[in-house]
Amino acid sequence: MNLLKYILKKIAIALATLFVIASATFFLLALTPGDALSARVEKLPDEVTQRLYAKYGLDRPVMERYFITMKGILHGDFGESIIYEGETVQQIISEKGPVSARLGIQQMLLGVTLGILLGILAAVKKGSFWDFLVIFFSVLLISVPTLIFALMLQAVFAGKLGWFPVIGWPSKGDWLGGFKYTVLPTLAGCFGYIASYARLLKVSMLDVMNQDYILTAESKGLSRREVIVHHVLRNSFIPIITRLPMSVAMCITGSFFIESVFSIPGLGLYYVNAVAAQDVTIVMGETVILSAIYIFVIFITDILYTVVDPRIRISGGNA
Amino acid sequence: MMEVRVYSAEELQRVGIENEADVITRPVISYWKGAILRFKKNHIAMFAFGLFVLFLFFTLFGPALSGENYTEIDAANRNIGPNGSFWFGTDQLGRDLFSRIWIGARLSVIVALVCSGIQIVFGSIYGGIMAYFGGKVDAVMMRIIEVVNSFPSLLVTLLIMMVVGKNVIGLLIAMSITSWVGTARIVRGQIMLLRESEYVKASQLLGGGAARIIKKHLLPNTISLLILDLCSSIPDYIFTEASLSFLGMGLGGDIISLGVLISDGKTKMQFYPWQMIFPAVVLVVAVLAFNLIGDGLRDALDPKTVN
Repeated sequence: MNLLKYILKKIAIALATLFVIASATFFLLALTPGDALSARVEKLPDEVTQRLYAKYGLDRPVMERYFITMKGILHGDFGESIIYEGETVQQIISEKGPVSARLGIQQMLLGVTLGILLGILAAVKKGSFWDFLVIFFSVLLISVPTLIFALMLQAVFAGKLGWFPVIGWPSKGDWLGGFKYTVLPTLAGCFGYIASYARLLKVSMLDVMNQDYILTAESKGLSRREVIVHHVLRNSFIPIITRLPMSVAMCITGSFFIESVFSIPGLGLYYVNAVAAQDVTIVMGETVILSAIYIFVIFITDILYTVVDPRIRISGGNA
Repeated sequence: MMEVRVYSAEELQRVGIENEADVITRPVISYWKGAILRFKKNHIAMFAFGLFVLFLFFTLFGPALSGENYTEIDAANRNIGPNGSFWFGTDQLGRDLFSRIWIGARLSVIVALVCSGIQIVFGSIYGGIMAYFGGKVDAVMMRIIEVVNSFPSLLVTLLIMMVVGKNVIGLLIAMSITSWVGTARIVRGQIMLLRESEYVKASQLLGGGAARIIKKHLLPNTISLLILDLCSSIPDYIFTEASLSFLGMGLGGDIISLGVLISDGKTKMQFYPWQMIFPAVVLVVAVLAFNLIGDGLRDALDPKTVN
């Protein structure tokens, strides 16, 4: 089977998945007792209430609303927020998206880099004190949820010591001045990456070191340094590369907690608030867009697996 | 034509063991006994197991041990720091935090165990059916897995919590609805791998029946994977519960879990830090114990590590 056919099949599955998610989200929201307007219309006269419901189409039967919504999504029109009048999903994404993206990029840059360095250290000095230290800390770091890290960092470095602001985020376009706001959220999110990448790379490097071609390289008389840099490292990066897209997806999820702890005006915090307020259009729009990113990332992972390692044969999608 | 003669057992004589060195002196131990022996030799894993037993002891008897009030509002004892009678202090309503933490931990662990149970049982059945039927059934069920696997699970969990409300049953449904996929894949892959493996074929050739193959090969190899799956999913569920409750999307109201306590403690962080630190530490220790036990089991259950 060729790569093109494989990719087309994956795209078809991705689109079907997105459709299922959009439909499921719509009906879950329709099933939820109450709606976004019920709190607002309590004291309003009936006539106004009716007009409000009509404005957002909430007066129509469920199936009709479903078709209207799906048609809108197909055209890239997600509708207007019910809670924040006049704000559309597109505006919100373009406003909050960069905030979450900056947080995610900073976390990943720091976390993945440190993780890779520590992984190399643990593998090269296998069995030494350093190896033990790296493994010990990675187990410890994995056992502490992002949420707890965020809360602890905030309590100690912002609350007790006052080195950094407790909550907040630099305003739009302010890259250097507001840096101090991003330090704690970035740290809170990067520990998970450090731990998982250090462990992953160590295991992968030890695996490669046991291969015959490493023995060959050593018997050619290459120094240990050359063997590690040219042969071991290059071949042990496969799991790292294929893991990266999934980390992007994890970033989306992780941002929910960090943004909520540090009151960062990103997509995660906004989503949680929208769910709580039953802002149907926003929840619908954000779910579809976040899911699309997530599905795209998984798609990239699948493709990477087949491209990076020629040993992985493409077989009818069986994994 | 060649004559075929069947030898009787008396006529056959064992050859090849002439010197002492060839005799198998190592006692033959079963797979599970070996695994337990290997686990016991692993000091870190045993330490984690000790932590786990301690944790279990406190979740069961902690509230009784402290003997302080943890349900009634006690205006005289509000926000007391840790002391002789209130070991972890009290909360803003004067309730004993020590007891509340263990009551909460009890619920967190029960939720994690039930979710893991649902995940393992449903995943195994699903994966088993896929491997057993193969072909079209397998292909269709695999597509379903791919679709479910692409759901961002946190979003799904949040949406379901919203529909079913903030109660324990809702939380169980919301957290286990997408998690069985991994287990199903593991079980399917393992059974397919084993069915094609040479030692299972050898066993079949030597006359091993289906019952023997299932008992000797399929079960031990699959169960060990499921145990590892369980060990890694329990901490995940404890995390997720705590995080959801923190976001105000998990449990709440009168229900106490570690997540609810951390969330409550956060609001008092500036003035009474122990109200958040104690439940957080208990959560981290529990998760650490589960992770270390999981690591120990991974080594112990791998028959290739025999030495």
